[in-house]
Amino acid sequence: MYRLIEFLRRIYVVLLFIAIEAIALNFYAHSSYYTQAKILSRAHSVAGGIQSSIFGVKHYFTLRSENEALSQRVAELEGLLSHYREKEATAATDSLSLEGIDSTMVESLSQYRYTTARIISNSISRSRNFITLNRGLMHGVVVDMAVISPTGVMIGYVVGCSERYSVVLPMLNMDFRTSGKIVGDEHFGSISWSGKSPYKVEMNDLSKHADIEIGDEVVSAGLSHYFPEGIKIGYVESYSINDTQTSYNVTVRLAADMTKLNNVILIENFDYGEIQALENNPQNEEYN
Amino acid sequence: MQKNLIYAGAFLALVLLQIFLVDNISLSVYFHPLIYVAFIILLPLDTKPIWMVLCSALLGLMIDVMTGMGGLNVIATTACGFLRPYVVNLVTGHSMGMDDSSPDIHRLPEKNFRFYIVAMVVLHSVIYFMMESLSLHHILHTLLRIIISDIAAVVFIYYFVKLFIEKILKR
Repeated sequence: MYRLIEFLRRIYVVLLFIAIEAIALNFYAHSSYYTQAKILSRAHSVAGGIQSSIFGVKHYFTLRSENEALSQRVAELEGLLSHYREKEATAATDSLSLEGIDSTMVESLSQYRYTTARIISNSISRSRNFITLNRGLMHGVVVDMAVISPTGVMIGYVVGCSERYSVVLPMLNMDFRTSGKIVGDEHFGSISWSGKSPYKVEMNDLSKHADIEIGDEVVSAGLSHYFPEGIKIGYVESYSINDTQTSYNVTVRLAADMTKLNNVILIENFDYGEIQALENNPQNEEYN
Repeated sequence: MQKNLIYAGAFLALVLLQIFLVDNISLSVYFHPLIYVAFIILLPLDTKPIWMVLCSALLGLMIDVMTGMGGLNVIATTACGFLRPYVVNLVTGHSMGMDDSSPDIHRLPEKNFRFYIVAMVVLHSVIYFMMESLSLHHILHTLLRIIISDIAAVVFIYYFVKLFIEKILKR
């Protein structure tokens, strides 16, 4: 007995070390981007204020370029608006009056709701990066909202929310997945990040029948529920056929500079809950 | 007591610097210096092994909670704290038991002092980055991350530890 106590006294540090490592390894092995986002959103409830002011200083130095990008985007949208105004005028002359439809009805007809937020923390140096926004549940931000840049380029989607802050899973996270396609072609591929460059993502499993050329624009395919169809992702930088000669592996240069983000636009898909409930309905599984 | 407070201050300063300053530098995917390991390097060389392990685990836990990493930092820092006595033995070339004449970092010759910092930073970052990538598929990419991040971390930690010893500990 004495020997046993003496033996334990000698190795208790080793035992403690093994116990701590085992707990940490177990937690790490079972942690997903969901649990990480949950912890991060809680932590930001405490440290969000400091992060916000630090990012505010950084933000100040990029205001000029951001303003230029916004003016450009306003010009684009003005163009689009005038196009729709013309269409409306044509419809009116064709005696298809829109007077019966009030603004609330138009809003309720729209599948998407838009809101804005400011980034308070953003990392690119990890393999699992996250972005924190200064808007949370109390501002109407909810999990699964799509996040795009003010110039309309894909950034990621919301995975965690606290009262005042929310955490985004950006494209620069190895757990990020969405579907993408080449503009003007209906074949789609799976978008993911390899962790090598903050300026490039991969689009794999794109059918070999797809019409692809270097420089082609890549947009969201609208199959992932998070993003509406046609959100810009980037441009084809290079592509190669895979080992089994069945599909293309495409390297896409991102249209958004993820290292210089400040403000973002959040998009809520009102139909998301309904689609998910339908997909999870046990009755549907009977037919599969 | 006063010494404990000084070390608590260093702990807090390093955690805050890592989270609010270093983690906000978005230079490249290869640039991710882990400067908080300076706390394990700073602890007196005669710290009891049990306190080494506990303090290191607490350091990792703080960073994990603040950055949302699921236990990755605890794995790296605890291993680093546990292995530090062996690194110290390697650097000084002899075993330093509890009955030894309390050696301290500032009594280490300059060459050994530098080797000690490099060894600890590399040990910590190898565990961290290898655990983060969890594959040998991108081994060259991971190695490049370790090299670039460690150069930055070693430079920062060298001056931080020097400043800590000269301006705070010796005062």
